Amino acid sequence: MILFIFYGSILFFIIAAALRVRRCVSAPIHLHWELYKGSSVYELTEWWGKTHNTFGEKLWSMILDLLFLREFYHRNRNFWYFLYPFHIGIYSLVLWHAWFLFGAKVISIEFLSIWGRLWGHVATGLTFFGIVGIFIKRVKDEDLKIYYPPIHYLKWPFLAVILLEAFYSVQFYFGDIFEDLLLEFHPNVATKAHLLFASVLLIYLPFSHIMQLFFRYYHYLRWDDVPNVRGSEIERRIKEHLERPVTWSAPHIQSGKRWREVASKLECPITEGK
Amino acid sequence: MATERKKIRLKDISIRTDEPLITVTADDLMPLPPPLDQQGKKAPYSPLSENQKKSFECSLDGVSALALPKPKNKEEEEKLVARFLSGLRKLLSQNDNWPFWQPLIQSLESCVRCQTCSDACPVYVSSGNQEIYRPTYKSEILRRIINKYIKKRGKIITKLTGDDIKLNWPTVARLAELAYRCTLCRRCAQRCPLGSDNGLIGRELRKLFSQEMGIAPKELHDSGTVQQLKVGASTGISSAAFQGMVEFMEDEIEEKWGKRIKIPVDKEGADILLIHNSGEFMSWIENPVAFAIIFEAAGLSWTLSSEIYGYEATNYGTWYDDVQFARIALKQVEVARKLKVKKMVMGECGHAHKGLIVIADRILMDEMNFPRESFLPLLEELVCGGKLRLDPQKNNFPVTLHDPCNVVRLMGIVEPQRRILRKICPQFREMEPHGVENYCCGGGSGFAIMNSMNFKEWRENISSRMKLKQILETFNDVLDSGIRKYVCAPCSNCKGAIRDILSSNDLWEKNSIYYGGLVELVANAMVDMKRPYIDWEWH
Repeated sequence: MILFIFYGSILFFIIAAALRVRRCVSAPIHLHWELYKGSSVYELTEWWGKTHNTFGEKLWSMILDLLFLREFYHRNRNFWYFLYPFHIGIYSLVLWHAWFLFGAKVISIEFLSIWGRLWGHVATGLTFFGIVGIFIKRVKDEDLKIYYPPIHYLKWPFLAVILLEAFYSVQFYFGDIFEDLLLEFHPNVATKAHLLFASVLLIYLPFSHIMQLFFRYYHYLRWDDVPNVRGSEIERRIKEHLERPVTWSAPHIQSGKRWREVASKLECPITEGK
Repeated sequence: MATERKKIRLKDISIRTDEPLITVTADDLMPLPPPLDQQGKKAPYSPLSENQKKSFECSLDGVSALALPKPKNKEEEEKLVARFLSGLRKLLSQNDNWPFWQPLIQSLESCVRCQTCSDACPVYVSSGNQEIYRPTYKSEILRRIINKYIKKRGKIITKLTGDDIKLNWPTVARLAELAYRCTLCRRCAQRCPLGSDNGLIGRELRKLFSQEMGIAPKELHDSGTVQQLKVGASTGISSAAFQGMVEFMEDEIEEKWGKRIKIPVDKEGADILLIHNSGEFMSWIENPVAFAIIFEAAGLSWTLSSEIYGYEATNYGTWYDDVQFARIALKQVEVARKLKVKKMVMGECGHAHKGLIVIADRILMDEMNFPRESFLPLLEELVCGGKLRLDPQKNNFPVTLHDPCNVVRLMGIVEPQRRILRKICPQFREMEPHGVENYCCGGGSGFAIMNSMNFKEWRENISSRMKLKQILETFNDVLDSGIRKYVCAPCSNCKGAIRDILSSNDLWEKNSIYYGGLVELVANAMVDMKRPYIDWEWH
């Protein structure tokens, strides 16, 4: 049963995450809004013939941001002191699970046991330290608590419980976990509890801010300086939107006509604002 | 000693009272450096008259940017609230709001309430951290209204995600005003580690009010975009009046340069169509005159346009209305296309840069996708490429540079203006912070031209206060009135806002702090100028 829930939650995670990604990918192309961290191609004459930031540059910037939480480090250092261990801990735990599941086939269980414990405990400790620190700051710090919705106060203790339970499982049942989980499908009680908590976490993850962080990069919100050129994919997609009806109701809009007509064919009716 | 300030909560936005939620007092304001550190304490803005209070909504902070009439009865209130909700639904719909749906949803969903953005906001900091001006205040209210009235995910989830906002007329009226307490400088968005853009949320709120409810400041809509679409310019300048101004410019050129030239107007096939903010012709004619001198001296093939829409770069739709924005952008490009010029070059107008070069990029299709660029790289080529004979000693006075948000943070044009100033101004000094970290002049997003009731006072004493502080700090070692100083603001609206703060604090009369554009400094440095181009006469 527990394995059914666990694998079900993995499936749920994959489907929910895919649906969220789909929602993001299929979103209508938006107007060129943009923010810049420094000089852009617009500093050049006839910029339309020049090279914009490459995908590699964007990717490198994204990796550095995600790895070091640079924005928080520079802008909100006190918060970063807890956020960073939390994130590094989470990254390490994800890697730990991957290493554990795949490494076990080629590395001896004794080796895994020694280094797995050390790695797991350090990662768990970092994450736990981050969680406690973040929770205390969210409760104590005036700025951090003012608009923080009640639901998020439940999140941190829940994560702490998962970690504590995980620590217990790894510390006392490490040798059994791999075989129990993957070979015999009869996990012990501690592992069962861990799998249950992990399942809840997996169900929550697609709705968390972690996904948002990735979407920010997908959106290219900060670097989306890809110009629209004639005959391009961008132009094709925009043309589709220009055929949509304008539905806004204010008198100057002329609701019901298509965007293309409203913007280009009709004179703006001279109506006073209210 | 200041009395303890009442703590404002999110749900206070719904309180039904005629008294404003807050009134910013002199004690609240961020202190200014010398010479304004000793000035007497004065309230940042006057209270509205009893008649004004009776007629217009001012229950946010006692200021009225919109001159929003109070509903006559309960039915009218309910109707307006229903229209707001209908507009909010459209704002969240991919079909209705395709132009900004994706970044809006990203901004609404990604905020982790870390408040990293708060200290980045000049309005919030200058006002003494007034809660209602916090960048996230209006966003969080909107978020909770959406959770409670649009998403309707059940009582428990709604409670857990915050259900404390009551959507009534006071909420709607205060949100309408609140959308015009943010200059859309997007410094907060630049700070946000998650990429949430509270500036965009403010802009989309403005759009909801305009496109669904017909509510917008008169200066932006009636005498802004509507007037521009009707007569060709938001200043009301007609084509005939523009041509008269060109003749005046030729006289000015002769007087200052000693040469009589014919300014090219409607020259078909020219390389460049130069397009100015028409406010320059009205208030700072020396700016388009300097452009003409520089372009002629460099031997460029260029022209101005006297066609309706061709002599006005502004597009106030950028700040509040997608439809008006698109209409104006298309008309401006159509002029260039018909003139068969090779490219359009924006003069010193920040939002025209952002609007026509960047935002309009994705509404200009086929032959309307016309080359458009900033004047800055071109000017840099002329100044730093040796196309003009320049003597930097003619500009041997302290000069600092204001970075217009639209050109710098929102477009990434950071260095050309600096390379120009380093070349021609021996005493050039940076403000701190500068570049993409700059502070807004306080006149952004239309504030520079909005003067409804006590809004101008609010702007001068609150939204422009950080810029005033920066200017004074930059010149703190040369405040003596015997030393003339120059604040270079290469944007028409920024120039207007800076003029107003220098003027209302007597900083020209008492401390010789002057302001102007960038091309004026270039013209002033030209070797063959008959007399100094900058005449240091306040206007």
